[in-house]
Amino acid sequence: MLSIRNLRVQFGRFPAVDGVDLDLAAGELLGIVGESGSGKSVTMLALMGLIDAPGVVSADKLEFQGRDLLKLSPRERRALIGADLAMVFQDALTSLNPSYTVGFQIAESLKAHRGLRGAALEARVLELLELVEIPDPRRRFKAYPHELSGGMNQRVMIAMAIACEPRLLIADEPTTALDVTIQAQIMDLLLRLQREQGMGLIMITHDLAVVAEMARSEPPRGTPGAPLPPEGAAPPRERPVGGARVAVMYAGQVVETGPVPDLFELPRHPYTQALLAAIPEHSRGAARLAALPGIVPGAQDRPAGCLLSPRCPRVQPRCVAGRPLLEQGVRCFFPGSAHV
Amino acid sequence: MFDDEQVLLRAQDLARHYKVSQGLFKPKATVKALDGVSFSLKRGRTLAVVGESGCGKSTLARQLTLIEPPSAGSLEIAGVDAASAPKDMLKGLRRQVQMVFQNPFASLNPRRSIAATLDEPLLINTSLGKAERRERIEALAAKVGLRSEHLRRYPHMFSGGQRQRIAIARAMILNPGIVVADEPVSALDLSIQAQILNLFMDLQAEYRTAYVFISHNLSVVEHVADELMVMYLGRAVEVGDKTTIYARPLHPYTQALMSATPALRAADRRQRIVIKGELPSPLNPPSGCAFHKRCPLAEARCSAEPPLLRTVDERQVACHVI
Repeated sequence: MLSIRNLRVQFGRFPAVDGVDLDLAAGELLGIVGESGSGKSVTMLALMGLIDAPGVVSADKLEFQGRDLLKLSPRERRALIGADLAMVFQDALTSLNPSYTVGFQIAESLKAHRGLRGAALEARVLELLELVEIPDPRRRFKAYPHELSGGMNQRVMIAMAIACEPRLLIADEPTTALDVTIQAQIMDLLLRLQREQGMGLIMITHDLAVVAEMARSEPPRGTPGAPLPPEGAAPPRERPVGGARVAVMYAGQVVETGPVPDLFELPRHPYTQALLAAIPEHSRGAARLAALPGIVPGAQDRPAGCLLSPRCPRVQPRCVAGRPLLEQGVRCFFPGSAHV
Repeated sequence: MFDDEQVLLRAQDLARHYKVSQGLFKPKATVKALDGVSFSLKRGRTLAVVGESGCGKSTLARQLTLIEPPSAGSLEIAGVDAASAPKDMLKGLRRQVQMVFQNPFASLNPRRSIAATLDEPLLINTSLGKAERRERIEALAAKVGLRSEHLRRYPHMFSGGQRQRIAIARAMILNPGIVVADEPVSALDLSIQAQILNLFMDLQAEYRTAYVFISHNLSVVEHVADELMVMYLGRAVEVGDKTTIYARPLHPYTQALMSATPALRAADRRQRIVIKGELPSPLNPPSGCAFHKRCPLAEARCSAEPPLLRTVDERQVACHVI
């Protein structure tokens, strides 16, 4: 459904995204993990056509449902975005318009893409508010964003994004600004919608545990017994392919990709290994955490060789000389299953 | 000079109520941001305060650092009662309690070099000469992982992790007994977070500083804490030794918090309890136990009378049901 080859986003001379390849089948679940500045959000903004000058987007291939996203006219793009391709952002309160009621804002995309009006429109908005488990939808319909909590606003954002039953939903750190108990509610909601509506979901996050959690809630590949949709819900449009994958990004590149939880159990790239080791959960009982020295390279100090080479514990002369390619799911000259 | 059994910080029924305006002609309402919290902390130990936003963790930090006087209750720092201490003694107490804030981008003065930032506490609180101050600054800077050429630079020239190192150095420069850290790593990336947590642990091992570590991240807390206090809407719901509580959380809110925290390994995963609803408004808290509307175990008694902390299974819990 989605196919990206060699996507690059340049801001001046700084490559924020540096040759990203990604594929996603219909109904699939993909986690993109990385620290700030790794290019995970910019990759998805490029996909949505939301990169403004001076950013320059180029790619060998950027296809969604067989259509080249780079060649779309603005009119075609507007018809696609919000309908088949939708996005949920991190901070719901700043993403919503404070001057309009949430009901109005959810209705907007239904008016534009589905041509709904009047009672049918209101009924659909109420149905969406119920779908995202907002209590008392009739009253909340007329509420403004500032009258709702962070968790409720995030539900409103999700309702807006799924209003036209998109084939692919991109969620950019949807739970980062929320408290843990609310985070669990929102994750459950997103995953339930993904299963019930057979929609593809790309979850951008800096939290590896969120991805692990997401994969666990997914029924294993090919086994029946996926939770039944509630009564009255439309049957899924197609069977989800099942299984979740994760792509780990560092400094604008995908450094490792593979299915979860396998990738977390046997990481091969030193960066993935270091990220996992840095989680306090892994060092239970130890006095010190395993920390990766140094920081992500910035615009001025991008190394000539492998981008991780200045920080890598396993660096070799070859790493400083040339950049490795992403081969068999890992971008490293010396991939290893070092014990984490 | 100090022995390890010395209680550095003792809070008794500490409370802070704020009056908030509800509109021009309406009477002012009272928010009980902190409503009777008690604990004590010994030298070299870490008390972690856990809870969601609005539970009073940061209000507690403001009381402990003497930024605001408490509305009720007493606070004892190194054996001195903060409320009754004379003004000149209060200055000495403030020196004992330093703070590290969440956002290192906002907590450092952008117009001061790092050396000037670290010099100011020494200038105000000590009678050291210029060379001695310089020596002390350089020694501490090296301990937190800054090089001496960094001292001439300004905050904007540093990354978030390095700024947090500077903020920690500023808190440690007077060698305080207690450091209150309010979400010190939640603005940092994972690999940097590990570096900063290691720094906290190293400094504590060397100076025997007591930490009050405020965080919402239970996986970080499990790593740093000795004792744990779980708060909900201004009150402590479960207090005790970290290992005891993590092994078997008793309060339904602690259980829900722990079960909601995502875990990497399936084996570490607790049974999932997703509690419904959101934190109630502190302006109009529910009657009885503040948690009863979201609690899976709530009984009739829970909505009638607020539970008090009592000792159950080697820790203190405020719950009627368990």
